[in-house]
Amino acid sequence: MSTVIKTEAKLQSLGEITPSRRAGVIYKNNADNAFQSDIKNELNEVLYLGEGATKTAFEIEDDDRGMRWIVLEDGNFGDLVSSVYTVGNAIGMNDGADNLLAAVFELYFTGTVEDNTYRSGLRTYWIYRYDRKAFYPFVPTGESEGDRDRPTEARLGQDLRKHGLAVEKSLTEWMGLWGIPF
Amino acid sequence: MYFTMFMLGFLYAVFALFLMAAGMQLMFVGGIVGIMVVVQYYMSEKLILMSTGAKTVTAEQQPALHKMVKLLADRYEMPMPKVAVIDTPIPNAFATGRNPKNALVAVTTGIQQRLNERELQAVIGHELAHVANRDMRVLAIANFLVTVTSFLMTMLFWNMLFGGMGGRRNNNGGGVMMVYLVTMIVYFIGQLLVLALTRYREYGADHTGAEISGDPGALADALEKISGTVANIPDKDLRKLQTASAFLIIPAALKGEGSMNLFSTHPPLQERVKRLRELEQRMRYGLR
Repeated sequence: MSTVIKTEAKLQSLGEITPSRRAGVIYKNNADNAFQSDIKNELNEVLYLGEGATKTAFEIEDDDRGMRWIVLEDGNFGDLVSSVYTVGNAIGMNDGADNLLAAVFELYFTGTVEDNTYRSGLRTYWIYRYDRKAFYPFVPTGESEGDRDRPTEARLGQDLRKHGLAVEKSLTEWMGLWGIPF
Repeated sequence: MYFTMFMLGFLYAVFALFLMAAGMQLMFVGGIVGIMVVVQYYMSEKLILMSTGAKTVTAEQQPALHKMVKLLADRYEMPMPKVAVIDTPIPNAFATGRNPKNALVAVTTGIQQRLNERELQAVIGHELAHVANRDMRVLAIANFLVTVTSFLMTMLFWNMLFGGMGGRRNNNGGGVMMVYLVTMIVYFIGQLLVLALTRYREYGADHTGAEISGDPGALADALEKISGTVANIPDKDLRKLQTASAFLIIPAALKGEGSMNLFSTHPPLQERVKRLRELEQRMRYGLR
């Protein structure tokens, strides 16, 4: 997952991309588990206590598909990634890594990029799948399943790989997440 | 291309002589397969509509699509073909019809959604070029010969297994074996020649379409945009992984036998895009 910091820095130094302040971790919610029933306190502990305490804010949201989102907010992209990492670790260790679905980062394109391939203001999500240990871009065009800008995603995938991101090689694994709560 | 066509004809003429020398009842085989091919040739439109689930649409149902096809058909100076739509997210398009009077052009809803007007126009232009170049007729003849051989191969195979049913046992088992082997070789060479022929026809349609539109880059863009790789990006939501195991979803290719499919594997897409880009350069600088 650490490749995302380098890639984002590289793109930002080229003046091409701006991360939003938000990211999220999505996982399957097992409510009967002790860690999950006290999730707010548990996350307060791992994020704000002891060494490596951060200023990242978080919110807990349950979606209508039995999944729980931890939505994180931080103005510093490096800190945001590190908090995503911390939260993912805590859930994986307490709740079983199998329940972890993905970490999602939100990034915007600004200005001309890669000979005008991306329009300015294009909103993209970079999805990190825990089971595949790799990223892929996601550009939804609507709320319903299947609404996505495939050509832009394919191009973006190539460009991000070029800039050092660990991009999922098998396109059939690039599953979408419609209705991301941030 | 004419060399390939000549080679194909030559191959089968020699093969026919060989079969007659070996004492086969060529008329019988040729007759049966001939009927099959003629039925396919004249029914191709209905067969394809049935096998792909394409539905013909009226100008009222799809005014923009009709207008686009009409515009292109006028440029080719051909009558307005039938227009059909296939309801599938897989991006594809094809044309069929033994001549421009009986042509049909079909697009999927997937290709309509993913391409812009300029790209869709290039794709339809390419398909109409197949009709204008009478590619379906060329393919039908080539396929006829290959089908005869494959039919013969099957017959000879069963003949060898059961050694002449109903007591017509004779003593030239080795002869049948020999004929079978030659048939097999002819079949494979024939297949290769047909592939070469479709390849030339595909490049030809790319070229004709580009001349008609004056914009070779549009088709290159369309091919790149909806090439097989992009179509692999799934419709599925990641949350469904938890309930069903992750099957590798291989998108089912649309089969349009007897038609010119936009994404036939021969020739390779990269080569077509490369040639179109070169043509684009030449047209831009007037080096035609």
